[in-house]
Amino acid sequence: MREAAGMSERSGRVVPPGGGRRARALRRPPFFLLWPSAALLCLIVLLPFAIGVYTSFTGLNQYTISHWSSAPFIGWQNYVDSFTQGDALGATLLQSAWASISFALATTAIILPIGIVAALLMNRPFPGRGMVRSLFLVPFVMPTFVNAITWRLLFMNNWGLIDRLLSTLHLASANTYWLIGPNTFWAMVLADVWASWPFVYLLTLAGLQQISDELYEAATIDGANGPAMFFQVTLPLLRPILGLAILLSTLNHYNNFTLPFVMFGTPPPTQVDVLPVNVYVTSFQLFNLGGGAAMSLITLLIMLVPAFFYIRLVRLGEGAA
Amino acid sequence: MRRGLAACVAALLFLPAILPSASRARADSQVTLQLFLGKINTPPTAQATLMKRLIATFEKQNPNISVNYSVYASASEETTTLETSLATHSGPNLFEFGSTIVPVADSTGGFASLSAQDWTAIGGESRFFPAQLTMSGPSADKRMAVPEYMLPFALLYNTAMFKAAGIHTPPTNWTDFVTDAQKLTIPSKNQWGVAMDPSDPFDPWHILWVLTRQMGGNFVTPDLKTATLNSAPVLGAATFWFDWLTKFKIADPTDVTFKAPDQLAAFEQGHAAMLVMQGPTLIPSLNTSPVKSEYAYAPMPTVPYGMKSMPKSGVPVQTFISGQYYAIPSYAPNRAATLKWIKFVTDVPQQQLFFQYYGYMPANLAAYQGYAPLSTPVIKAFVAAENHAFPTPFTGAWGPVEVAVGAASAKVAGAIGTNSYHQGDLQSSLQSVNAEVQKALVGH
Repeated sequence: MREAAGMSERSGRVVPPGGGRRARALRRPPFFLLWPSAALLCLIVLLPFAIGVYTSFTGLNQYTISHWSSAPFIGWQNYVDSFTQGDALGATLLQSAWASISFALATTAIILPIGIVAALLMNRPFPGRGMVRSLFLVPFVMPTFVNAITWRLLFMNNWGLIDRLLSTLHLASANTYWLIGPNTFWAMVLADVWASWPFVYLLTLAGLQQISDELYEAATIDGANGPAMFFQVTLPLLRPILGLAILLSTLNHYNNFTLPFVMFGTPPPTQVDVLPVNVYVTSFQLFNLGGGAAMSLITLLIMLVPAFFYIRLVRLGEGAA
Repeated sequence: MRRGLAACVAALLFLPAILPSASRARADSQVTLQLFLGKINTPPTAQATLMKRLIATFEKQNPNISVNYSVYASASEETTTLETSLATHSGPNLFEFGSTIVPVADSTGGFASLSAQDWTAIGGESRFFPAQLTMSGPSADKRMAVPEYMLPFALLYNTAMFKAAGIHTPPTNWTDFVTDAQKLTIPSKNQWGVAMDPSDPFDPWHILWVLTRQMGGNFVTPDLKTATLNSAPVLGAATFWFDWLTKFKIADPTDVTFKAPDQLAAFEQGHAAMLVMQGPTLIPSLNTSPVKSEYAYAPMPTVPYGMKSMPKSGVPVQTFISGQYYAIPSYAPNRAATLKWIKFVTDVPQQQLFFQYYGYMPANLAAYQGYAPLSTPVIKAFVAAENHAFPTPFTGAWGPVEVAVGAASAKVAGAIGTNSYHQGDLQSSLQSVNAEVQKALVGH
């Protein structure tokens, strides 16, 4: 509502609607208070990013690291080499990207139903619920490298617990290899599923507790049974939070460096030569820092694609449908 | 009140001029050295105990110098810190490198050669084993690293198993090695002639380089410009090594997943009679193991398998020049204090302490004189091996060589273990390795 014009008591001038320039200035949000945060953001995020972009176009290696700003400019060569030449194992960027994407999608697809079911169970009160909720968090709080070492020991062939269990159940030979060969991928997925399902469980539980009981009462009155209530009431209301869980989980698994690094060492088997490990080996073991920077940027671009589609798909930030 | 306020403002204005002077005065009188050392895992507490003792003694002798240290647990961590320190021109005052990383460090241009005055301050070049100095720099007048202790490699064998099999002396050529290993292999008892660690990230190049040199080849040409990892001697060396698993069957098939600690455990548990290319660092662990009174070291065999004598271009390499070296980065201040530390730890008493605590052999020649623990048959075997030690090519690409060879070894071992190995896989892996190393060689 516009304020009416009036006379200024002090100067006698006519004061325009809105109270004048000073008043408008005072009503504007104090954006200047954001300058320190913006400056910090530029320093710790944008500046290193810009240096990384620059490095990706140079031939930075062990011969030029001590005067990195004058490393020779080689244009797009690092990007071309990433796609065509590969690392010490011959794994190209595309092969590593496929390993990372498969790992991220497989792990997310498995932990999603586990997390939802666990949250549904924990949403109803029962004796000892608090203790069970705490136990559920143990895999999540365990450091990743501890998790990796533990699963490495479990997967040791012949004497590891997994091989002994599978051979006792006549499901596999006692000499099945999980740390080399094609089984390495599923060994890594299993180890990460165990560690990360509580993440989906926590987000889903938080979402469930925001759903009003009145909606369930209304559904009951309308004759809905358990599965109908889940699919018609619970799941649609959980859609935003599940979308966020899928997005964050996928990105987190895609970026997972510690698990494959500790579980398999370097260089890892080809099946688990995920992008973060490939970038690390290229940069810090083969000393091809320019190539590593190029692969890092390509990794970022690959990550942005699913993030963009997920956000649009679940309409994150908007109200529930 | 106004005068008081003015006085406060004046004091505040002059304070920055006073405080830095005070702190500068303190800085001039107190120097802090930051060391970056390789982690010693066996025995677990030895490094912390010995470093505490050494630092206390050094600081007592040099009251104006205080010493701190941090450790790296893997070659990856070592090279990562090296790169980040050189890029940022800040980091440790002193790096401790393995002998094969010294060329990599030298290639960065971040370490200046030691001058004649520097060597005098350390105690002189003549105090060290001459062979060790060959890895101190690309040439005698461009040495940038100081030998700290040496780690020659030899053949580790179980004397009780040898006696039970009727073998009186360890093998001196590879044909006898295979024959002896076959006698020692009893799969029903889970006893094998030799254990291997093809999945270790760094060990595979040790044995492959020694075998390659004995067959007359090398990993790079003498001018350090061309990679030769796809050459016949390298292929022959790798084929022979993997034949231990596939053809001669003298190693446990499950060794395909082994890293260095796994093969040591196999030896200590009595499942393997021999380990190749092992150093004195295992002695503390062996002395607390079930085989503590049943092990011995011998020089590595030298004559290639199937031959009666060395081939024409073959070199009787028993070990490569191996050890730990100190290097001072150019960015680091307090060079004089750093040289004092280097002299201190390379003096005879400290060198003998390294052996006592870690099992590491002194690089100082005088440390062996009149010191009984360094006159045992085990140590004499290593000293003899050091006399047949040859330097690896002094090239900045040696880091990628180690990584690439380890990668190829792990890949082939994995294929063998999962029954997916095809004829020609080894050759194609070596071709990939060669291409990778060639890129690193021409990178500057």
